[in-house]
Amino acid sequence: MELTSDQRWEIVERVASKVVSTGTSQRSLADALGDLTVKPLTGLPVALAVLYAFWSIFSSFAGDLVTDGFMVKLFDNHWLPWLQSAWPDPNSVLYFLFVGDPLADNCFEAFGVLSSGLFVSIGVVLPAVLIFYLTMTLLEDSGYLPRLAVLADTFLHKIGLHGYAIVPTILGLGCNVPAVTATRVLETKKQRFLMMTLLAIFVPCGAQLGIMLAVIPESVGWVILYLLAGFAVFGFLLDRLIPGENPEILIDVPPYRWPVRENVAKKLWNRTKGFLKEAVPFVLFGILIVNVLYLLGVIQALATALAPIFVTWFGVPSETVGPLIAAFLRKDLAVAQLSTIAMTPYQMITSVVLVSIYFPCVATFVVMLREGWKQLLAAIAALVVVVFVYGGVIHGIGILLGVA
Amino acid sequence: MKTSYTIASISAALVGAAALVLGLADVLVWAGSTGPISIGILEITGDDFFRWAWGGLVVVLGGVLMLAGARSLGDLDQRATAVLGVIMVWLIAGCDIFGMICSGIPAGEESEAFFNSLGGFIGGFAPPYAPAILLLPFTLIVAWLLLDQRQGA
Repeated sequence: MELTSDQRWEIVERVASKVVSTGTSQRSLADALGDLTVKPLTGLPVALAVLYAFWSIFSSFAGDLVTDGFMVKLFDNHWLPWLQSAWPDPNSVLYFLFVGDPLADNCFEAFGVLSSGLFVSIGVVLPAVLIFYLTMTLLEDSGYLPRLAVLADTFLHKIGLHGYAIVPTILGLGCNVPAVTATRVLETKKQRFLMMTLLAIFVPCGAQLGIMLAVIPESVGWVILYLLAGFAVFGFLLDRLIPGENPEILIDVPPYRWPVRENVAKKLWNRTKGFLKEAVPFVLFGILIVNVLYLLGVIQALATALAPIFVTWFGVPSETVGPLIAAFLRKDLAVAQLSTIAMTPYQMITSVVLVSIYFPCVATFVVMLREGWKQLLAAIAALVVVVFVYGGVIHGIGILLGVA
Repeated sequence: MKTSYTIASISAALVGAAALVLGLADVLVWAGSTGPISIGILEITGDDFFRWAWGGLVVVLGGVLMLAGARSLGDLDQRATAVLGVIMVWLIAGCDIFGMICSGIPAGEESEAFFNSLGGFIGGFAPPYAPAILLLPFTLIVAWLLLDQRQGA
């Protein structure tokens, strides 16, 4: 039997009347809170609070609890002594490559693949990555991250990025390794390259910030100011120099919701698994390469060759070259080494800014390599130019102010 | 808009003012305008930029939002503004408590053991406390009153 059009509509109405209920919707407190966190006047204070909480949870969990509380003790008191006693012939090349300095009493200073390499990747970066991914997932699934992206969008558009670039930027302040991976949230190759380059140059990691606050607390404000200015100025310039698209994005701002535990667990597991499978082997391999370069005398030759540039162009003492080369392995240790060199306050600010904008640490370097060797080479080229120009500009400002 | 004063609005204003003053004290002690403050179970050491300058600023802004929202709580946006201020103080207090838990679990650098004793762990929660933690019970009452407040009241 064939139904007429009117009969069909009648059936539709009957079904609809049974399954669809209508009424007037009332704006709830959650809706009002959602609106307030997007408006700049109320949204920016909330963003300050959320970023504070993000950082505080990160440093309490990854720093106080896991790394300082358990990992340092496990690696320094148990793993390293066992490794040093079990590995044959402390004078061999293999010992230097895999265990490192036979006199070292902690994994920070040993510099071997199985000592510093495992400690950095498992003891330091993994807890940081874990808590970062967890907090990021909670912010994402609760609906706050899109609002933060909306708030940051206006500024980030001026440097060719969009609101979601705030994610790798925040991650970078903790550790550049997950931050480089997070650049995948950006749409175009140009945007990913821009973000990766700015991260590698101008975003200091948590370890570096921590040691800066500990050894040069009076100058940290200036260092951060120079890095922020550099991020804005060079982001603006790179955006105009690099060909490619900066597409607008349409951000869906969902209502606030409680994150679903299963979804959070699944996301956390997938992201952490990715880090364990891909980044950890690269970190270990990177440390091996640096150790080989040390053995071959390449690092020492670089230090000797670069010394005149540092003294005349950057205006810092030649002794800073060593720490700057060491910064490739650990930027925080490089800052600590700089603090022992006799310098004027302005030279100290310049050299700490140089450590920050100088070559990314080996872990970041290898993760960038994983994102593509062409991108890495281009980022290094941009980095060399920026370091040379910006280092000279800072020296120039110091001369003009009469403090350099 | 008609301004109405209720228990909720008065308590939001009082706790907001307290948060504003205590948050300012956090920032001022960090900036060195005054020495460390220790009154009873309240302590502001000001030794860390992150905790006292940034955290203090968040407490100040939380207080400002509570004060701004305290007027005409019958209006949904006003109420939401006050709730937002309360949540900001909770974030700081929550982070302080989470920090105490995290630093209380391990035994400490000097000890051979990995885990702290139960007594040592509980001892980590003893006073003195930072202002945000002291404000926490009061903000819980304010939040309850705000959520209980009817629209248009």
